Amino acid sequence: MITTVKEIMTEKLVTISPENSVRKAIGLMEHYKINCLPVIENNQLVGLITSRDVRLNHPNRLVADAMSRNVITIPLNCTLWEAEKLLNQYKIEHLVVIENNKPAGVITKTQLYIELGKYTDSLTGLNTADFLRYKALELLQKENEICIIFLDLDKFGEINKRFGHIIGDKILCGVAQILINSIDAKTDYLCRYAGDEFSILTTEPFNSAVKLTDQISNALKAENWPNKIKITLSSGIAGGQRNTCRNKNLIKVVNNLINTASLASTKAKLEKVTS
Amino acid sequence: MSSNLPNWLAVSEFGRKAQINIRLSDFEIPPMQDILLIGKKAPIGPEAVRRMVEAMSPEQYDIIFLDHKIFEAIVIKKSLLKQISKEKLLPIILEEGELIATEETVIKAQVNITFEINRGIVL
Repeated sequence: MITTVKEIMTEKLVTISPENSVRKAIGLMEHYKINCLPVIENNQLVGLITSRDVRLNHPNRLVADAMSRNVITIPLNCTLWEAEKLLNQYKIEHLVVIENNKPAGVITKTQLYIELGKYTDSLTGLNTADFLRYKALELLQKENEICIIFLDLDKFGEINKRFGHIIGDKILCGVAQILINSIDAKTDYLCRYAGDEFSILTTEPFNSAVKLTDQISNALKAENWPNKIKITLSSGIAGGQRNTCRNKNLIKVVNNLINTASLASTKAKLEKVTS
Repeated sequence: MSSNLPNWLAVSEFGRKAQINIRLSDFEIPPMQDILLIGKKAPIGPEAVRRMVEAMSPEQYDIIFLDHKIFEAIVIKKSLLKQISKEKLLPIILEEGELIATEETVIKAQVNITFEINRGIVL
Protein backbone atom coordinates (compact mmCIF):
# COMPACT_ATOMS: atom_id res chain seq x y z
CA MET A 1 0.00 0.00 0.00
CA ILE A 2 1.14 3.54 -0.70
CA THR A 3 0.81 5.99 2.17
CA THR A 4 -1.59 8.83 1.42
CA VAL A 5 -2.01 12.29 2.92
CA LYS A 6 -5.14 11.05 4.69
CA GLU A 7 -2.98 8.97 6.99
CA ILE A 8 -0.85 11.88 8.22
CA MET A 9 -3.19 14.90 8.08
CA THR A 10 -4.40 16.68 11.21
CA GLU A 11 -7.65 14.88 11.83
CA LYS A 12 -9.44 17.43 14.00
CA LEU A 13 -9.96 20.35 11.63
CA VAL A 14 -10.22 23.72 13.34
CA THR A 15 -11.45 26.49 11.05
CA ILE A 16 -12.22 30.19 11.32
CA SER A 17 -14.51 32.68 9.58
CA PRO A 18 -13.07 35.56 7.52
CA GLU A 19 -15.13 37.91 9.70
CA ASN A 20 -13.32 36.85 12.87
CA SER A 21 -10.37 38.82 14.14
CA VAL A 22 -6.71 37.92 13.92
CA ARG A 23 -6.84 37.99 17.74
CA LYS A 24 -9.32 35.11 17.68
CA ALA A 25 -7.13 33.23 15.22
CA ILE A 26 -4.17 33.60 17.61
CA GLY A 27 -6.32 32.30 20.46
CA LEU A 28 -7.43 29.25 18.47
CA MET A 29 -3.89 28.48 17.34
CA GLU A 30 -2.62 28.68 20.92
CA HIS A 31 -5.50 26.64 22.33
CA TYR A 32 -5.27 23.81 19.81
CA LYS A 33 -1.47 24.08 19.46
CA ILE A 34 -1.69 24.40 15.68
CA ASN A 35 -0.10 26.85 13.32
CA CYS A 36 -2.69 27.36 10.62
CA LEU A 37 -6.45 27.61 10.22
CA PRO A 38 -8.45 27.10 7.03
CA VAL A 39 -10.82 30.04 6.55
CA ILE A 40 -14.37 28.97 5.75
CA GLU A 41 -17.25 31.12 4.47
CA ASN A 42 -20.59 29.64 3.41
CA ASN A 43 -19.12 26.16 3.70
CA GLN A 44 -16.44 27.04 1.17
CA LEU A 45 -12.71 27.28 1.70
CA VAL A 46 -11.82 30.94 1.04
CA GLY A 47 -8.36 31.22 2.57
CA LEU A 48 -5.75 30.04 5.01
CA ILE A 49 -4.34 31.96 7.94
CA THR A 50 -1.01 30.82 9.35
CA SER A 51 1.08 31.66 12.41
CA ARG A 52 3.25 33.78 10.11
CA ASP A 53 0.20 35.77 8.97
CA VAL A 54 -0.87 36.48 12.53
CA ARG A 55 2.63 37.65 13.41
CA LEU A 56 2.65 40.09 10.51
CA ASN A 57 -0.84 41.50 11.06
CA HIS A 58 -2.45 43.62 13.75
CA PRO A 59 -4.63 41.50 16.09
CA ASN A 60 -7.55 43.84 15.44
CA ARG A 61 -7.63 43.03 11.75
CA LEU A 62 -10.20 40.77 10.18
CA VAL A 63 -8.97 37.32 9.24
CA ALA A 64 -10.09 38.29 5.71
CA ASP A 65 -7.39 40.98 5.73
CA ALA A 66 -4.62 38.75 6.99
CA MET A 67 -5.22 35.39 5.30
CA SER A 68 -3.72 34.01 2.10
CA ARG A 69 -6.42 33.75 -0.51
CA ASN A 70 -4.57 31.46 -2.87
CA VAL A 71 -4.86 28.23 -0.92
CA ILE A 72 -3.18 25.16 -2.34
CA THR A 73 -5.22 22.04 -1.72
CA ILE A 74 -4.60 18.35 -2.18
CA PRO A 75 -7.10 15.49 -2.51
CA LEU A 76 -7.33 13.06 0.38
CA ASN A 77 -5.98 10.07 -1.54
CA CYS A 78 -2.82 11.71 -2.89
CA THR A 79 0.55 10.31 -1.91
CA LEU A 80 3.11 11.92 0.37
CA TRP A 81 5.39 12.54 -2.59
CA GLU A 82 2.64 14.37 -4.46
CA ALA A 83 2.19 16.55 -1.35
CA GLU A 84 5.95 17.17 -1.22
CA LYS A 85 5.92 18.19 -4.88
CA LEU A 86 3.16 20.76 -4.24
CA LEU A 87 4.86 22.21 -1.15
CA ASN A 88 8.11 22.65 -3.07
CA GLN A 89 6.45 23.93 -6.21
CA TYR A 90 4.56 26.68 -4.39
CA LYS A 91 7.20 27.21 -1.67
CA ILE A 92 4.59 26.88 1.08
CA GLU A 93 4.41 25.25 4.50
CA HIS A 94 0.82 23.96 4.59
CA LEU A 95 -1.62 22.11 2.37
CA VAL A 96 -5.35 21.86 2.99
CA VAL A 97 -6.59 18.32 2.40
CA ILE A 98 -9.85 18.18 0.46
CA GLU A 99 -12.54 15.51 0.51
CA ASN A 100 -15.68 15.93 -1.62
CA ASN A 101 -14.73 19.57 -2.29
CA LYS A 102 -14.63 20.32 1.44
CA PRO A 103 -11.63 20.74 3.74
CA ALA A 104 -11.00 17.54 5.66
CA GLY A 105 -7.64 18.28 7.27
CA VAL A 106 -4.33 20.05 7.05
CA ILE A 107 -0.79 18.78 6.55
CA THR A 108 2.31 20.76 7.37
CA LYS A 109 5.76 20.53 5.84
CA THR A 110 7.19 19.32 9.16
CA GLN A 111 4.60 16.54 9.45
CA LEU A 112 5.29 15.52 5.88
CA TYR A 113 9.06 15.39 6.24
CA ILE A 114 8.86 13.40 9.48
CA GLU A 115 6.72 10.88 7.61
CA LEU A 116 8.83 10.91 4.45
CA GLY A 117 11.87 10.19 6.62
CA LYS A 118 10.32 6.80 7.28
CA TYR A 119 10.52 6.06 3.56
CA THR A 120 14.24 6.64 3.39
CA ASP A 121 16.47 3.76 4.35
CA SER A 122 18.67 5.02 7.19
CA LEU A 123 21.62 2.76 6.30
CA THR A 124 21.99 3.42 2.59
CA GLY A 125 20.05 6.67 2.21
CA LEU A 126 18.03 5.08 -0.61
CA ASN A 127 14.26 5.29 -0.86
CA THR A 128 12.19 2.39 0.41
CA ALA A 129 9.77 0.22 -1.58
CA ASP A 130 6.82 2.56 -0.97
CA PHE A 131 8.53 5.28 -3.02
CA LEU A 132 9.11 2.84 -5.86
CA ARG A 133 5.43 1.90 -5.89
CA TYR A 134 4.39 5.56 -5.92
CA LYS A 135 6.79 6.38 -8.76
CA ALA A 136 5.70 3.36 -10.78
CA LEU A 137 2.06 4.34 -10.36
CA GLU A 138 2.78 7.91 -11.37
CA LEU A 139 4.62 6.80 -14.51
CA LEU A 140 1.82 4.41 -15.49
CA GLN A 141 -0.77 7.16 -14.95
CA LYS A 142 1.23 9.28 -17.41
CA GLU A 143 1.11 6.32 -19.82
CA ASN A 144 4.81 5.53 -19.65
CA GLU A 145 6.09 2.01 -20.13
CA ILE A 146 7.89 0.77 -17.07
CA CYS A 147 10.19 -2.06 -16.18
CA ILE A 148 11.03 -3.38 -12.70
CA ILE A 149 14.46 -4.86 -11.98
CA PHE A 150 14.70 -6.86 -8.76
CA LEU A 151 18.21 -7.44 -7.40
CA ASP A 152 18.89 -9.94 -4.62
CA LEU A 153 22.42 -10.32 -3.22
CA ASP A 154 23.57 -13.94 -3.10
CA LYS A 155 24.36 -15.60 0.23
CA PHE A 156 24.26 -12.32 2.09
CA GLY A 157 23.01 -14.02 5.25
CA GLU A 158 26.15 -16.14 5.27
CA ILE A 159 28.32 -13.02 4.86
CA ASN A 160 26.64 -11.47 7.90
CA LYS A 161 27.16 -14.64 9.94
CA ARG A 162 30.77 -15.15 8.88
CA PHE A 163 32.09 -11.56 8.88
CA GLY A 164 29.61 -9.82 11.17
CA HIS A 165 26.86 -7.26 10.57
CA ILE A 166 29.23 -4.28 10.52
CA ILE A 167 30.94 -5.70 7.42
CA GLY A 168 27.51 -6.68 6.08
CA ASP A 169 26.30 -3.09 6.47
CA LYS A 170 29.43 -1.75 4.77
CA ILE A 171 28.75 -4.04 1.83
CA LEU A 172 25.12 -2.91 1.61
CA CYS A 173 26.26 0.74 1.53
CA GLY A 174 28.84 -0.12 -1.14
CA VAL A 175 26.21 -1.93 -3.23
CA ALA A 176 23.90 1.08 -2.89
CA GLN A 177 26.67 3.37 -4.13
CA ILE A 178 27.38 1.14 -7.14
CA LEU A 179 23.67 1.13 -7.97
CA ILE A 180 23.48 4.93 -7.67
CA ASN A 181 26.47 5.25 -10.02
CA SER A 182 24.98 2.78 -12.49
CA ILE A 183 21.52 4.23 -12.98
CA ASP A 184 20.47 7.21 -15.06
CA ALA A 185 18.60 9.60 -12.75
CA LYS A 186 16.46 10.77 -15.68
CA THR A 187 14.94 7.36 -16.37
CA ASP A 188 15.67 5.13 -13.39
CA TYR A 189 14.45 5.10 -9.76
CA LEU A 190 16.23 3.08 -7.14
CA CYS A 191 15.16 1.69 -3.78
CA ARG A 192 16.36 -0.69 -1.09
CA TYR A 193 13.40 -3.04 -1.15
CA ALA A 194 14.26 -5.00 1.98
CA GLY A 195 17.34 -6.49 3.69
CA ASP A 196 19.71 -7.44 0.86
CA GLU A 197 17.19 -6.76 -1.91
CA PHE A 198 17.26 -3.69 -4.12
CA SER A 199 14.94 -2.69 -6.91
CA ILE A 200 15.16 -0.36 -9.89
CA LEU A 201 12.21 1.10 -11.73
CA THR A 202 13.08 2.22 -15.23
CA THR A 203 11.24 3.75 -18.16
CA GLU A 204 13.77 2.15 -20.49
CA PRO A 205 12.65 -0.92 -22.51
CA PHE A 206 13.25 -4.50 -21.38
CA ASN A 207 16.48 -4.94 -23.39
CA SER A 208 18.02 -1.85 -21.78
CA ALA A 209 16.97 -3.15 -18.36
CA VAL A 210 18.82 -6.42 -19.09
CA LYS A 211 21.93 -4.44 -20.08
CA LEU A 212 21.73 -2.33 -16.93
CA THR A 213 21.42 -5.47 -14.78
CA ASP A 214 24.50 -7.02 -16.45
CA GLN A 215 26.42 -3.79 -15.95
CA ILE A 216 25.53 -3.74 -12.23
CA SER A 217 26.39 -7.42 -11.83
CA ASN A 218 29.81 -6.86 -13.42
CA ALA A 219 30.46 -3.77 -11.29
CA LEU A 220 29.68 -5.74 -8.11
CA LYS A 221 32.03 -8.54 -9.16
CA ALA A 222 34.80 -6.07 -10.02
CA GLU A 223 34.59 -4.18 -6.73
CA ASN A 224 37.28 -4.72 -4.13
CA TRP A 225 35.07 -5.70 -1.16
CA PRO A 226 36.34 -5.91 2.44
CA ASN A 227 37.85 -9.25 3.53
CA LYS A 228 38.08 -10.17 -0.17
CA ILE A 229 34.41 -11.12 -0.12
CA LYS A 230 32.88 -11.89 -3.50
CA ILE A 231 29.53 -10.25 -4.10
CA THR A 232 27.17 -11.59 -6.73
CA LEU A 233 23.49 -11.10 -7.26
CA SER A 234 20.45 -12.80 -8.67
CA SER A 235 18.09 -10.66 -10.65
CA GLY A 236 14.62 -10.68 -12.12
CA ILE A 237 13.11 -8.24 -14.63
CA ALA A 238 9.45 -7.63 -15.39
CA GLY A 239 7.65 -5.26 -17.73
CA GLY A 240 8.87 -3.11 -20.57
CA GLN A 241 7.49 -5.38 -23.29
CA ARG A 242 3.71 -5.05 -23.06
CA ASN A 243 1.78 -6.09 -26.16
CA THR A 244 -1.77 -6.17 -24.78
CA CYS A 245 -4.10 -3.56 -23.31
CA ARG A 246 -3.07 -2.51 -19.86
CA ASN A 247 -5.16 -3.50 -16.85
CA LYS A 248 -7.11 -0.45 -15.64
CA ASN A 249 -6.19 -1.15 -12.02
CA LEU A 250 -2.74 0.42 -12.10
CA ILE A 251 -1.92 -0.41 -8.47
CA LYS A 252 -2.50 -4.06 -9.35
CA VAL A 253 -0.25 -3.64 -12.41
CA VAL A 254 2.55 -2.22 -10.23
CA ASN A 255 2.21 -4.97 -7.62
CA ASN A 256 2.16 -7.66 -10.33
CA LEU A 257 5.32 -6.28 -11.94
CA ILE A 258 7.18 -6.15 -8.61
CA ASN A 259 6.01 -9.65 -7.74
CA THR A 260 6.96 -11.07 -11.13
CA ALA A 261 10.44 -9.50 -10.96
CA SER A 262 10.87 -10.73 -7.37
CA LEU A 263 9.85 -14.30 -8.26
CA ALA A 264 12.18 -14.24 -11.28
CA SER A 265 15.12 -13.26 -9.05
CA THR A 266 14.23 -16.06 -6.60
CA LYS A 267 14.12 -18.50 -9.52
CA ALA A 268 17.51 -17.28 -10.75
CA LYS A 269 18.94 -17.77 -7.26
CA LEU A 270 17.55 -21.30 -6.98
CA GLU A 271 18.98 -22.19 -10.38
CA LYS A 272 22.42 -21.06 -9.16
CA VAL A 273 22.10 -23.27 -6.07
CA THR A 274 21.03 -26.34 -8.02
CA SER A 275 23.52 -25.91 -10.89
CA MET B 1 -22.20 67.48 59.64
CA SER B 2 -25.54 68.47 58.14
CA SER B 3 -26.20 69.29 54.51
CA ASN B 4 -29.17 70.22 52.30
CA LEU B 5 -27.76 68.14 49.47
CA PRO B 6 -29.18 64.67 48.88
CA ASN B 7 -26.99 61.89 50.23
CA TRP B 8 -25.79 60.74 46.80
CA LEU B 9 -24.39 64.22 46.02
CA ALA B 10 -22.86 64.92 49.41
CA VAL B 11 -19.08 64.94 49.10
CA SER B 12 -16.90 65.06 52.15
CA GLU B 13 -13.65 66.96 52.29
CA PHE B 14 -11.70 63.75 51.72
CA GLY B 15 -14.04 62.16 49.14
CA ARG B 16 -13.60 61.59 45.41
CA LYS B 17 -15.57 63.39 42.78
CA ALA B 18 -15.99 63.17 39.06
CA GLN B 19 -16.65 65.75 36.42
CA ILE B 20 -18.51 64.89 33.27
CA ASN B 21 -17.91 66.79 30.06
CA ILE B 22 -20.07 65.99 27.09
CA ARG B 23 -19.26 67.02 23.55
CA LEU B 24 -21.90 66.24 20.96
CA SER B 25 -21.35 66.37 17.24
CA ASP B 26 -22.58 64.74 14.06
CA PHE B 27 -21.22 61.30 13.25
CA GLU B 28 -19.73 61.31 9.78
CA ILE B 29 -21.20 58.66 7.58
CA PRO B 30 -19.01 57.02 6.60
CA PRO B 31 -16.45 58.12 9.21
CA MET B 32 -14.00 59.04 6.48
CA GLN B 33 -13.77 61.67 3.85
CA ASP B 34 -12.72 61.36 0.25
CA ILE B 35 -9.77 59.04 0.59
CA LEU B 36 -8.47 56.51 3.11
CA LEU B 37 -4.91 55.26 2.91
CA ILE B 38 -4.53 51.92 4.69
CA GLY B 39 -1.07 51.02 6.00
CA LYS B 40 0.20 47.48 5.54
CA LYS B 41 0.15 46.80 9.28
CA ALA B 42 -2.77 49.03 10.20
CA PRO B 43 -5.24 47.80 12.81
CA ILE B 44 -7.94 47.73 10.15
CA GLY B 45 -7.42 46.15 6.76
CA PRO B 46 -8.95 46.80 3.33
CA GLU B 47 -11.57 44.05 3.65
CA ALA B 48 -12.83 45.47 6.94
CA VAL B 49 -12.93 48.96 5.43
CA ARG B 50 -14.73 47.64 2.37
CA ARG B 51 -17.39 46.03 4.57
CA MET B 52 -17.77 49.18 6.65
CA VAL B 53 -18.01 51.48 3.64
CA GLU B 54 -20.39 49.17 1.79
CA ALA B 55 -22.65 49.07 4.83
CA MET B 56 -22.60 52.83 5.38
CA SER B 57 -22.30 54.26 1.88
CA PRO B 58 -23.08 51.50 -0.62
CA GLU B 59 -21.49 51.77 -4.07
CA GLN B 60 -19.85 55.12 -3.37
CA TYR B 61 -16.24 54.04 -2.82
CA ASP B 62 -13.69 52.00 -4.70
CA ILE B 63 -10.93 49.98 -3.10
CA ILE B 64 -7.66 49.86 -4.98
CA PHE B 65 -5.05 47.36 -3.77
CA LEU B 66 -1.52 48.69 -4.04
CA ASP B 67 1.97 47.33 -4.43
CA HIS B 68 3.51 49.98 -2.22
CA LYS B 69 6.15 50.05 0.53
CA ILE B 70 3.80 51.57 3.15
CA PHE B 71 0.21 51.28 1.99
CA GLU B 72 -1.76 48.13 1.34
CA ALA B 73 -4.77 49.76 -0.26
CA ILE B 74 -6.49 53.04 -0.92
CA VAL B 75 -10.21 53.61 -0.56
CA ILE B 76 -11.39 56.40 -2.78
CA LYS B 77 -14.69 58.10 -3.46
CA LYS B 78 -15.95 57.14 -6.89
CA SER B 79 -17.09 60.68 -7.60
CA LEU B 80 -13.47 61.88 -7.31
CA LEU B 81 -12.37 59.45 -9.99
CA LYS B 82 -15.03 60.87 -12.25
CA GLN B 83 -13.32 64.25 -11.94
CA ILE B 84 -9.75 63.09 -12.27
CA SER B 85 -8.35 59.72 -13.35
CA LYS B 86 -6.74 57.47 -10.74
CA GLU B 87 -3.54 57.37 -12.80
CA LYS B 88 -3.16 61.10 -12.18
CA LEU B 89 -4.59 61.30 -8.66
CA LEU B 90 -2.99 58.29 -6.99
CA PRO B 91 0.69 59.22 -7.41
CA ILE B 92 0.02 62.64 -5.82
CA ILE B 93 -1.93 61.15 -2.90
CA LEU B 94 0.68 58.45 -2.28
CA GLU B 95 3.57 60.88 -2.52
CA GLU B 96 2.02 63.15 0.10
CA GLY B 97 0.71 60.28 2.22
CA GLU B 98 4.03 58.51 2.59
CA LEU B 99 5.57 61.68 4.02
CA ILE B 100 3.40 61.46 7.12
CA ALA B 101 2.27 57.84 7.36
CA THR B 102 3.77 54.58 8.60
CA GLU B 103 2.78 50.99 7.86
CA GLU B 104 0.74 50.99 11.08
CA THR B 105 -1.42 54.00 10.28
CA VAL B 106 -4.65 54.71 8.47
CA ILE B 107 -4.75 58.20 6.96
CA LYS B 108 -7.87 59.97 5.82
CA ALA B 109 -7.61 62.69 3.24
CA GLN B 110 -9.97 65.36 2.04
CA VAL B 111 -9.45 66.29 -1.56
CA ASN B 112 -10.94 69.37 -3.15
CA ILE B 113 -10.71 69.62 -6.88
CA THR B 114 -11.42 72.94 -8.53
CA PHE B 115 -11.83 73.26 -12.25
CA GLU B 116 -11.09 76.49 -13.96
CA ILE B 117 -12.68 76.72 -17.32
CA ASN B 118 -12.49 79.49 -19.84
CA ARG B 119 -14.42 79.22 -23.02
CA GLY B 120 -14.53 81.52 -25.92
CA ILE B 121 -17.60 82.02 -28.01
CA VAL B 122 -18.08 83.68 -31.32
CA LEU B 123 -20.16 86.82 -30.97
